[in-house]
Amino acid sequence: MSDYSVIGKRVHNIDGTEKVTGSAKYTFDVVLPNMLYGKVLRSPHPHAKILKIDTRRAKRLVGVKAVVTGKDTLGRKHGIWRRFPELCDEEILCRAKARYIGDAVAAVAAIDEDTAEEALDLIEVEYEPLPAVFDPMDAIKEGAPQIHEGVELNINVNRHIEWGDVDEAFEKCDYIREDKFKCSSQAHVCMETHDAVASFGYNGKLEVWTSTQSSYYIQRLYADMLDMNESDIRVINRHTGGGFGSKFELDSAQFCAAILSQKLCQPVKIVLTREEEFTATKRRTPMYYFLKLGAKKDGTMLAKEVRVITEGGAYTAMGATALYLTGFFSSFPYKYPNYRYDGYRAYTNTAPTSAMRGFGAPQSTFVGESQIDMMAEDLGIDPVEIRRKNGMTPDYEVPGQAFIQSCGLHQCLDKIDEHLKKRGKLPPNHGIGIASYGFMSGGIFNWFNTPYAFSAAVVRINIDGKVDVYTGACDIGQGSNTTLAMICAEELGVRLEDIRVFSGDTGICPPDLGAWGSRQTLMSGNAVKRAAAECKQQLLEFAGAKMGVNIVYDLDIKDRWVHLVDRPERGVSYFDIVKGAIRGKDGNAIMGRGYYTPHRKGMISPAYSFGVQAAEVAVDVETGRYKLLNVTTAHESGTVINPVGIEGQLEGAIMMAGGYGFCEDQPMDDGKILNPSIADYKLIRSLDMPETEILEIDTYEPEGPFGAKEAGEGLTNPTAGAIGNAIYKAVGVRINDLPITPEKVLKALKEKEKQ
Amino acid sequence: MIKDFERFAPKTLKEALVLLAKYGDDCKVICGGQSLLILMRQGLVSPKYIVDIKGISELSYIKDGKDGVKIGATTTHRAIEKSPVIKKKYPVLAEMETRLASIQTRNWGTIGGNVCHGDPAGDPVPVLMALNATLTVAGAKGTRSMPVDKFCLDYFEVDLRDGELLTEITIPAPLPRTGTVYTKFNVIESDLATVSVAASVTLGAGDGVCQDVRIALGAVAPTAIRARKAEKVLKGKKITDALLKEAGEVAATETEPISDIYASEEYRLELVKVLVPRMTKEALARAKKA
Repeated sequence: MSDYSVIGKRVHNIDGTEKVTGSAKYTFDVVLPNMLYGKVLRSPHPHAKILKIDTRRAKRLVGVKAVVTGKDTLGRKHGIWRRFPELCDEEILCRAKARYIGDAVAAVAAIDEDTAEEALDLIEVEYEPLPAVFDPMDAIKEGAPQIHEGVELNINVNRHIEWGDVDEAFEKCDYIREDKFKCSSQAHVCMETHDAVASFGYNGKLEVWTSTQSSYYIQRLYADMLDMNESDIRVINRHTGGGFGSKFELDSAQFCAAILSQKLCQPVKIVLTREEEFTATKRRTPMYYFLKLGAKKDGTMLAKEVRVITEGGAYTAMGATALYLTGFFSSFPYKYPNYRYDGYRAYTNTAPTSAMRGFGAPQSTFVGESQIDMMAEDLGIDPVEIRRKNGMTPDYEVPGQAFIQSCGLHQCLDKIDEHLKKRGKLPPNHGIGIASYGFMSGGIFNWFNTPYAFSAAVVRINIDGKVDVYTGACDIGQGSNTTLAMICAEELGVRLEDIRVFSGDTGICPPDLGAWGSRQTLMSGNAVKRAAAECKQQLLEFAGAKMGVNIVYDLDIKDRWVHLVDRPERGVSYFDIVKGAIRGKDGNAIMGRGYYTPHRKGMISPAYSFGVQAAEVAVDVETGRYKLLNVTTAHESGTVINPVGIEGQLEGAIMMAGGYGFCEDQPMDDGKILNPSIADYKLIRSLDMPETEILEIDTYEPEGPFGAKEAGEGLTNPTAGAIGNAIYKAVGVRINDLPITPEKVLKALKEKEKQ
Repeated sequence: MIKDFERFAPKTLKEALVLLAKYGDDCKVICGGQSLLILMRQGLVSPKYIVDIKGISELSYIKDGKDGVKIGATTTHRAIEKSPVIKKKYPVLAEMETRLASIQTRNWGTIGGNVCHGDPAGDPVPVLMALNATLTVAGAKGTRSMPVDKFCLDYFEVDLRDGELLTEITIPAPLPRTGTVYTKFNVIESDLATVSVAASVTLGAGDGVCQDVRIALGAVAPTAIRARKAEKVLKGKKITDALLKEAGEVAATETEPISDIYASEEYRLELVKVLVPRMTKEALARAKKA
């Protein structure tokens, strides 16, 4: 596809200069006239009735303007699964009961942050502590404390996926393995904590600047919770300091700021502290995994049975989707003829768990790829070979679930095989482990119940030929504005610098479901491409008339040159055409609209990315400490729009997924997270980063814009599994519960010695 | 939230001592602020007054002399790390500094501040113990000196009496045939130690016998400690792998590690048993080359 003039070029983010110079304005930087500062009071109890809240002393503190509690709300509950009212279970400001340490019970607005914080100490809450339950395996037992009224055994939601005849297939297997795994939690650790500046005016309209992955979701959820028309709410997201899944639900900063602002008709800003970020926002879902895998002697896998219990925490959030997706991706990226999944999400008195980059797939990939390596060893088959034998291929249908068009898994396996062979024999206690994976390019499921297209865009060409793109997509640092600008520039035949992107502002942009589920490149990209194509059509109509060409000739625009496709030297300047076309339209600017809603692509996603990753470790057998030396990834994401963007995604994913495998965890004591600071929460830092390498695979996805598909989340899936497999290769021990800490490795080595 | 406080910025040691005498318990000394500010932000410490000694230039120096090197208390970690004298005569000190937190922290943080913080997981103290360093503190009534081992009293508690300030660290000139090493075990490279070990070995002339040995451990007791019994196992003998292993086992009995979110007590003991022999062996190898 070398004839692209923009796509595939290495470009830096179009907002990069603003960001690196510090001039980009995040919500954190927004200051409005008469703005007040808010703080949120949170429950110190994991489970407690709220008997009484006395706010009088706090209100009397000089500088305090308002104090609100659950009584100041409409008492509604919100949730992302809006189609299922029983799964909308979060009040945000609790009225009768707090369900985890960190649940919001009151909020204060004051003239500055210090005063607001001082006021929190003056609010007297009378609690009646209730028995609490923290582990999902305990929560589903008879007699466990009931966290939500009417929810038996605390089972919040269950999901079942099945095809083929699993029981019959197991009987035909030569070999069956059953294994148990435990996947830990993980904090998002966005650089910008959750924050919002809410401004409710005397005109009855609400404007909110906020750090979010989906302005549209926040707008809609505000409308539900405040009983307002969504058109009276404007949510603005200019720059966002990171979003990995915790920022597309209405959060306590957003909701409390709006409630306080409504009361005062004054702007209120709430920025969560880092400690609140760790304890009172959503986090990755911990899961207990029970796997049964059956194969023929030659390695053909006939059946897989998966049971999962997830720790839901206090509310549903996006955890129900994580439950579903971990079940679906447990079959990835292999062709299981018979498959059964049963997943249960249990409420617990812990911080709610939800979406996080990979959305259930890092868990299923860790456990699945570990087990496949175990199976391969039992059968005496090479790990690459067993994956080749069972791996998905193009045009494969996951029975009753999904249709996969492009799939470069086998090319990825070939590349990784070459890599392994090139590394040859390793020094003692070194090992390379591999893991295969796949991921979706945006979800088709519409539990949110949007009546709008999944993505929509407007493109406008101004008289000077410069182009404005309006998209509801949210650039959260992943570079979607740059990707969409590149798609627009390519389609329209102009240069990247001709494009200006307005995004994530519900006041001016058409709705888009936002940046989650790796959907912006494919879905928003298609919408922008269509909108640009509509503009281009208008220009070509005018150009055809002006140039007086024979109607059998096709016209096109490339690099600002409107020309005959067959005779590119015959053409006119794009800028002249724009001027003329607008004049010809009686001064009406050239505008195009585009949208994308997936159809006939199954239930999950319109397209899937694939890849194989190899992680190399060196283990110190005396201490269990291991170093992640190199991570090499063969990733196929269809046409690469911006190679720099993919490299950024890859390195960020290895930092995050490596941390998930190696050191990140949220230990708790009776529901209290014990490491709520960046000093105590262990993240991989620059010194710990392995060498990373990306092996290019060429594929083309028919459903994607210019053949592109996702590259944001899939890369987070393989690393923990690859590390686990690498450690096994290096020293022969297998750790089935994440994270794989040196202490666990040493313990396993000692146990192995004893045997 | 940091509570309001009044800050003084004396320019001389004398001025600082007057302020400390005047405000007593209500005041805290700050220099690089890399430890105190964290405690203040967490609300664990809320001093009314802060005496900022960063501007006392007479306390920032590295002076090499006949009887060793003298380091002023407000000398930054980065200055020590980069000092040609330190790198040449006490390479272990420079190596330790390269692993202390991040460059940003080392640019601000000072050796004196770190030692006075009394964190058992701090990097400098075990190394100073292995190097047999002496600390000098000044107060209204004059100065006194003590070996670094005696300075560390308890968890975040050091031997600074009312109105006293650490002014200087003296490290004796290295003996011939001496090797000193330091390492810390941590999961994240730039992190605090889960367990740290410093070891110094001095060999006799020509006989290869361990004439002197100092082994110091961090993060396994309320303060950094000397593993004196382990040292006894080795002193006066030709060091063998079997002796080293025994020293590790003995060292483990001298510790009182805790279980926390980073490591269990058992794991810390295991690490002591592995790292003491490993590091002492490295020190021995260095001593042979010295």
